[in-house]
Amino acid sequence: MRIGIVSPYSFDVPGGVQLHVRDLAEHFISQGHFVSVLAPADDDTPLPDYVVNAGHAVPVRYNGSVARLSFGPLTAARVGRWVESGRFDVVHIHEPVAPSVSVLALWAVDGPIVATFHSSNLRSRAMQAAYPLLRPSLEKISARIAVSEDARRTVTTHLGGDAVVIPNGVFVERFASAKRRPEWEGTVERPTIAFLGRMEEPRKGMPVLSAALPHILREIPGVRILIAGPGDPDSVRQKMTTEAAAACEFLGPVSDEDKARLLASVDVYVAPNTGGESFGIILIEAMSARATVLASDLPAFTRVLHGGDAGELFQNEDPVDLARAVVALLRDPVRREQLAVAGRERANAFDWSVVAEDVMAVYETVVLGRSAVHTSSEPNSRWARLLRSGRNSGGT
Amino acid sequence: MDLSWIVSGIALLVLIAWYVSYGAARLDRLHSRVEGALSVLDAQLVRRAEATLELANCGALDAASALILASAASDSLEADTTDQTSREAIESDLTQALEVALGEDALAHLRADETVGAPVLQRVAAANQRVQLARRFLNDAVTDVHRVRRKPGVRLLRLAGHAELPQTFEIDDELPMLGRGD
Repeated sequence: MRIGIVSPYSFDVPGGVQLHVRDLAEHFISQGHFVSVLAPADDDTPLPDYVVNAGHAVPVRYNGSVARLSFGPLTAARVGRWVESGRFDVVHIHEPVAPSVSVLALWAVDGPIVATFHSSNLRSRAMQAAYPLLRPSLEKISARIAVSEDARRTVTTHLGGDAVVIPNGVFVERFASAKRRPEWEGTVERPTIAFLGRMEEPRKGMPVLSAALPHILREIPGVRILIAGPGDPDSVRQKMTTEAAAACEFLGPVSDEDKARLLASVDVYVAPNTGGESFGIILIEAMSARATVLASDLPAFTRVLHGGDAGELFQNEDPVDLARAVVALLRDPVRREQLAVAGRERANAFDWSVVAEDVMAVYETVVLGRSAVHTSSEPNSRWARLLRSGRNSGGT
Repeated sequence: MDLSWIVSGIALLVLIAWYVSYGAARLDRLHSRVEGALSVLDAQLVRRAEATLELANCGALDAASALILASAASDSLEADTTDQTSREAIESDLTQALEVALGEDALAHLRADETVGAPVLQRVAAANQRVQLARRFLNDAVTDVHRVRRKPGVRLLRLAGHAELPQTFEIDDELPMLGRGD
């Protein structure tokens, strides 16, 4: 099958949607399908050979966080060329309402379109304002997928209709085979906790963790906090007490391999996210690596952790509860092992082999209904129709 | 003065013509989406009935269950595809027949038989999943058509022409015991 996948967010910076697109593409390529991914990226960013650069991305504040998006006439032209030369059986557009390559692709494609909704917090005001403009092109989508129940609810409330829930996938094996690194492993005296993600983005929960640290240090003075991800360590340290700042070790952005090894090594992986997470792929990666997971009780996290069977939950945005849970886990190796084993088992349900099969079922269903995708000839046909209808109304 | 009247008159006419052509193109696209989705659903329902027949004849089920399945499946295969209401009832019956026939014991028995039972069961599960997908995509398309056709401009100008108003396809297609993934 010839599959075109569109990512609205730049491949320069890793993110949930980009990783989803990359993994899905690689899985289908390994299955023998032809896949081309269209995504914004800077010219000097090294891209896998199946990715087509849609143009330079600009950081824009959208939907509560800064996203690197690409738009403008040049990008639109590139999108058109990609659609035309790809001769795709199906085009799979991610976040179709993101003001980037996705919306442009939605305009350009005239054929089977599958759309995946990742976000659980569409701004309804922005949506309503742009509605008349978006509506007709949203009608071109033959099949809608939501990555979570929350994302699905967003689709039903804001766009009407329904969506099939197909969760994010993880290459469980990649994480399960990660080797521990001794310098990240905890000891009884000096246990380790990991935090992953953009530390300066409040929604990722760094402020909650910072506020919890003094409480944790009071009980377990030797605890080490390993923080991996992009961001300026100083800006985070400034908001901490001196003791707390001293307990933190900043690893900077880490490779995929090191991420897996970090998750496999630490005693507890903490996800204090305060919102905006519609899925929480990182939790599944952590579970795959046999980490003991402690996460805020966001609906999405609660669901992924199977209500707390596969990982511990604490009250969202409550540093005291977070500290209590961290201390309890660090003092109870049996419980940690129990959660790690349950988590590893739970992760299998989200392996790409399972998830991609469901996505393929959607593709096949959609492709069956229509012939090959080609570029929308709308401007021409609209003129043709205009002339035709003009003549018709003249006749009657 | 006169000229500006003429110009705005022409502009208005152009605007109306554009609205008409655009609305018609949009509806046309929606109707063909419904048609495509309907033909997919039709194909998937046939596939599901065929897989059910295969299950009935695989020899791993008791005779009574096999008979129930075979009868429901052949009803589905012989259904009058033009009569949606009766077809909905027939397909719901097939789902119920599968639900009744695939009790805990029968499922365990089928799954244990790796040469015949398990693959046939897998085919039924896959076929049913595709029915669910096809039905959801069809109903989404139908909802979109209804919404656009309710618009006053579309109604006033009769942009839908003589195209029949499509209906959502309502059946029970939940087979939780075949559950996949999560």
